Amino acid sequence: MSVHDPHAWDRAAPRGPRPVVYGIRRLLPSWRWLAEAMWWVEHSFGRARADARPEEDTRVRIFVIATAFTAVFCCLALGAAHAALMTPKGVVGSAANPNAVARADIVDRNGALMATNITHYGLYIDPREVWDPTLAAQQIKRALPRISTAKLRRILAGDRRLIALPGLTPQEKSAVHALALGGVTFEPEDRRVYPLDSSARHVLGVADSGGQGLTGAELAFNADIRAAGARGESFPLSIDLRVQGVLENELGAAASAVGAKGAVGVVVDASTGEVLGMSSWPTTDALNRVTSAHYEMGSVFKTFTIAASIDTGKADLNTMFDASQPYMIGNRRITDFHATNKILSLEEVYLHSSNIGTSRMAVELGPDVMRDYFGRFGLLDAAPIELHESARPRRPTNWEDSTRASMSFGYGIMITPLQMAAATVSLVNGGVYRPLSLRRGGSGAEGRQVVSPETSRSIRELMRANVLRGSGKSANAQGLRVGGKTGSANKLVNGRYDPRHGVGSFASVFPADGPDTTRRYVVFVLIDEPAQGSQLGGAVAAPTVGRVIDRIAGFLGVDRVADPVIAPAVAR
Amino acid sequence: MNAAVIIRSVNRLFAWKVRGIRWIEIIGVLMVAAMIFSVYLAKAAAARESAQIADLERQIGVSGQRVRLLKAEVARLEQPGRLEALSRGAGLGPVDMKRQTSEADLAQLQPIPEPKQVVIVAPTPAVVPAAAPAAPAGEGAR
Repeated sequence: MSVHDPHAWDRAAPRGPRPVVYGIRRLLPSWRWLAEAMWWVEHSFGRARADARPEEDTRVRIFVIATAFTAVFCCLALGAAHAALMTPKGVVGSAANPNAVARADIVDRNGALMATNITHYGLYIDPREVWDPTLAAQQIKRALPRISTAKLRRILAGDRRLIALPGLTPQEKSAVHALALGGVTFEPEDRRVYPLDSSARHVLGVADSGGQGLTGAELAFNADIRAAGARGESFPLSIDLRVQGVLENELGAAASAVGAKGAVGVVVDASTGEVLGMSSWPTTDALNRVTSAHYEMGSVFKTFTIAASIDTGKADLNTMFDASQPYMIGNRRITDFHATNKILSLEEVYLHSSNIGTSRMAVELGPDVMRDYFGRFGLLDAAPIELHESARPRRPTNWEDSTRASMSFGYGIMITPLQMAAATVSLVNGGVYRPLSLRRGGSGAEGRQVVSPETSRSIRELMRANVLRGSGKSANAQGLRVGGKTGSANKLVNGRYDPRHGVGSFASVFPADGPDTTRRYVVFVLIDEPAQGSQLGGAVAAPTVGRVIDRIAGFLGVDRVADPVIAPAVAR
Repeated sequence: MNAAVIIRSVNRLFAWKVRGIRWIEIIGVLMVAAMIFSVYLAKAAAARESAQIADLERQIGVSGQRVRLLKAEVARLEQPGRLEALSRGAGLGPVDMKRQTSEADLAQLQPIPEPKQVVIVAPTPAVVPAAAPAAPAGEGAR
C-alpha cells in the first residue's frame, strides 16, 4: 500500500493517527459520496492489484465503460429517431410560412382585393462605377421621368453610393435595369398599395412604409392585419365592393350635380351591424365625413322623438297633436315648414314632418326620459365602431323644454352620419342597438334592446308610409319596399341659421315590411350644402338613396315584390 | 446449452484472428465504414433535396410576387368606378326594373310580336280624270 493512499484513513491504521489530511475531506458532506466514488473508480486497479485480482478488475472497468457508452449511444439513437420520425408536418424544409407578409392583403367580404403589399425597389447609384455621368443622367431621366434631375446630378457628382429614388414599381425598375448602366443597383422594399385608387380610401386608410397602420381600417385592425399577414392569409372587411362602388358613384354624381360642398353615404346590414359601404365625398379630402364630421341633421331626428314617445306609451299611431297654430315655448314660436294648420295624427305628424307635433312630444317626454332615449340610440356618444376616427357628438348643454323641442326635429345637437346610421339600425331591426363593425361577420356583440319590437315595427310602418305618401317618394325603388325619413337643416353661420347653407339627408331602410327577423339594410345619405336647386332632403338625398337601393338590392339578395296600391294622399 | 457453452463460444469468436487481428474487429470496422458511407449518402441526398426545396420556395416567392402584382392590376382594372365609367361610355346602364324578371317567370313573358306582313303592291298609275271637279273650298285645311 502506498503512503499516498487517501483511503488509508478508512482502514485500521497500523500505526498511530492518520498522517495525511486531504482537501476532499474538507468538502461538504453532500459532496463526499461523489468524491469517494471517483476515488474508488480511479484507484480500483491499484486496489485490485493489491487484492491479487487484476483480471477481474479489468473486466469490471470494461463492463462499466461499455455500459456507459451503450447508454449514451442508445439515448442518441432514440433522440435521432424521434427527431427524424416525429417532426411536425410542414416544418421540414422551411422554418417560416412562405406566404407570410408584413401586412395581410385587405379584401372585401367577397374576397375582392382592396389593399396589398407589392415589392417595390429603391434605386441606388454609386457614382464611382458610372463611366459617363452626363449620359447616365440623361438615360435614367428618360427611363424614369419622375426622378428629380437636380438630385440625380448631385448623386452622380458625389463620391459614394446613395439612394436616388425609393419606391420604383417593377415596370420602372425594368426600364432602368434595361439601360445596363454600371453603378446602378436596386434594393427591394415592401410597399403598401391600394389598387382601387380613391375608392374606399376613407374606409381603408393608409399604412406607413414601416408596416404600421396610420388611419382607417389599416389603423383599426393593425394587429389583426399583421397577424393575418404572418399566417399568409388575407384580412376581410365587411365592405361589399359592389355596394361601395354603387354608393360612391351615385353619391359623387348627385353631389357634383348640385355643386355640393360634401356628401356622405353609408349602407349597413341592420341585422349584424356590418358596414357594407361607406363613402365620403369628395374623395380627395382627407377628412372622413362619415365618422368625423358633425351635422345638425334636421327632421330625420323626428324618427327618434316619435320612437321615444311610442315606446314610453305616451303616444301611438292614432294620437292626435294640435298643429293648427304655432307652438309657443316661452317667447319662442315653433312653426311647421309645411304648415297644415290642423290637428294631426302621429302618422300625419311624421308624414308632414311637423315641428309642432314633435316639439309637443319632446316637451311631454320630459328631460330625463328624452335624454335616456337619446342615450339609448347612441346619439350622445361616439358611434361604436373599430375606426379610431369615430368622433364624439356635440351635445346640448341643457335639456330645457326649448332645447328638447329643437332636438326633437334635429337642431341643437350635432352628430356624425355614423351615429345616425347606427341609431336608425336600432330602430328598424326590432329595437336592438348593435355596434357597427367593419369586420366581416360583425363585431359579434350581443347588442342591447333600446325599444320594443312593437315600437320598431311602428317606426318601419311610418318610414314606409313616408316613402309611399310623404316627403320620401323619390326614394321609392320599385318593388323594394323602401321606408325612410327626409331631413333638412340650415347650418349655423356666424351665429345665425343661414338658409343658403343647408344640409339635406335621407335615412332609409329596405325592405321595410315583413317580420322582425327579416334581413334589412339601412342606407343613409347626406348632401352637405348643395349650391344649386332645392336643399331639402327629399329633393337631393332621397333620389340618390332610391337609385342606390335600386342598384344594390340584387347584390344583397333582396327580391322585388309588387308594390301595394298607393293611397292618393293623407286625409287632411 | 448452458452458460459455460455460451462463454466458450464467445471466447472462440474473440479468439478467431487473422494475422494477429481479431475477425470480430475487422467485421466491426467494416460495418462502421458501411454505416458511415450510408449516412453520408443519406445526408447528401437530403442536402440535394433541401437545395431543391429552397429553389422551389424561391420560385414560389417570385411567382407569388408576380401573382400579387397581377391581382393588384386586376383589382385596379375592375374597380367599380372605372367599370361604370366605361359602361356608361359604351351606352350601357342599369337595367330598368320593368325589364327584369325571375327565371321562373320567363315563360310568362309576352312574346315579341311578329312583324306584320307587309304586302307590297305594285304602284298603279293614278288615273286622272280629264275634267276633275273643283275641290270645295276649305277642304285643304281639314
